[in-house]
Amino acid sequence: MSSEAPMAGDFLSLLAGRKLPPWRAEPSASAPVQTQATTVFAFHFGEGVLMAGDRRATAGNVIVTDRVDKVIEIDATSLLAIAGVPATAFEMARVLQTSFEYYRRSQLQPLSLPAKVRALARLLRENLPMTMQGIGVVAPLFAGLDHSFSPPKPQIYFYDPLGAQFQAVDYVASGSGSGTIRSILSFQEQYGNPRPSQMNLAQAVKFALRLLMVASEFDSATGGVNPATETYATIRVLRSTGVEAVTDEQQSKFLNLKP
Amino acid sequence: MTEEPYRWLEAVANRREYVRDQLKGGSPALAASLSDGILLLGVGGGQSKVFELFDRHALAGLGHPADIEKIRQAAIDAAHTEAFTRAPEDVSLRRLVGFGLSPQLKTNFEQIFTAPFLVELLLVEIGAEVEKDLLLRLHFDGAFQFQSGGVMVAASLPEPETAAKEWLARALAQKTGRREAVDLLLQAWWCLTENKPFGEGIPGEADRQAGWRAATQGRVVEIGWLARKSPRPARYETLTLAQIGL
Repeated sequence: MSSEAPMAGDFLSLLAGRKLPPWRAEPSASAPVQTQATTVFAFHFGEGVLMAGDRRATAGNVIVTDRVDKVIEIDATSLLAIAGVPATAFEMARVLQTSFEYYRRSQLQPLSLPAKVRALARLLRENLPMTMQGIGVVAPLFAGLDHSFSPPKPQIYFYDPLGAQFQAVDYVASGSGSGTIRSILSFQEQYGNPRPSQMNLAQAVKFALRLLMVASEFDSATGGVNPATETYATIRVLRSTGVEAVTDEQQSKFLNLKP
Repeated sequence: MTEEPYRWLEAVANRREYVRDQLKGGSPALAASLSDGILLLGVGGGQSKVFELFDRHALAGLGHPADIEKIRQAAIDAAHTEAFTRAPEDVSLRRLVGFGLSPQLKTNFEQIFTAPFLVELLLVEIGAEVEKDLLLRLHFDGAFQFQSGGVMVAASLPEPETAAKEWLARALAQKTGRREAVDLLLQAWWCLTENKPFGEGIPGEADRQAGWRAATQGRVVEIGWLARKSPRPARYETLTLAQIGL
């Protein structure tokens, strides 16, 4: 076999062979004002992993939109939450979506969780020239199913902008509102009743919405949640059976539930 | 020199005969468009007859496993490249086959010093409505026929294939359930493999059902299902006989 032949099941090498790389990072003297997307977080709850994000994107002091979906279903068992520059992050999500499905269909088996985790690290490393210039920086969160457990166990990973990957034991947050959210999650995990890891879906969703409400009080780039304008978060859960979306209607219902 | 064109024609005719001979005895593949989705069915050794290609596309066929694999891989490569560089909605069966697979099959078949593909294939695309379902029959020489909805059969010989298709189209009319559709597809599969007639003299339903049950012992009934409505982009799933109550 030729060394130039694409690696079996690897979508990026297929694109490279056809001279269609997903993005080309070129050095630039000056950076434009960038659209930024914050805030995202994930935590283990009683039924799996909950991953959530507000829906605001900003550029400097300008609110670009309050309708961004920052928690993206990559495939039936993987979630990506993006914090940073959406232009780069959405492209990474698209590469991962196509790559994971390409591998599954062409090799007739799903990609393992470690390989999925590394695939995102690889994209972050390939984005290094942009990161070093301070533009196109992405600090994502990833959740996937670990099939070495039976039933498969949802796991959370986070990354630094250079591509280092870390596993989150209880919770993780990224983006400009993450400081507030991590503090509350830490407090709740140590002293809360119930702790996030013991919550059911309704409790976990209500807790997640409240986290964003508080974060938005301290961080103007976090959009928060406003039931009066029907502005909710993007929330998805990963159970041992796969990914499920939590709709705006469900969020409204859970938020109004009495304790 | 004057005899060269004649030699080429003779060589191509010989190849056609050779391919048909090689495909003889291959296990037929069948597809049916139903109200909730498209069924594909084959009986083989497992992951060898029915395959997912893309979000709304699937393939089933008979032939040499290595050749089916080459076609499958080429279709998957083309579909994913198209989806990534344009959009998943732009992946279409017409373009995939008309501009990709068919010319390649034709070229391989007519270049008499290369090996022809030993395949007979069915490709399907699920639409928003039954009328927009696309079923495509692709032959080893690159020839293909499209059809909106209905039933499609890929067998090694054209006459029994047409008879099975016509019988299934009548038998499946007004039937929407997956269970009864799979049962009928398996009855047609059994009649094809046992060279039973589809007109006068077709075995009774009980015999056909007993026939396919006996003939599939020790083999894998591969069932692919493309759902018309799904919360996810990927519509394909594999089913077992037990899952659909057979």
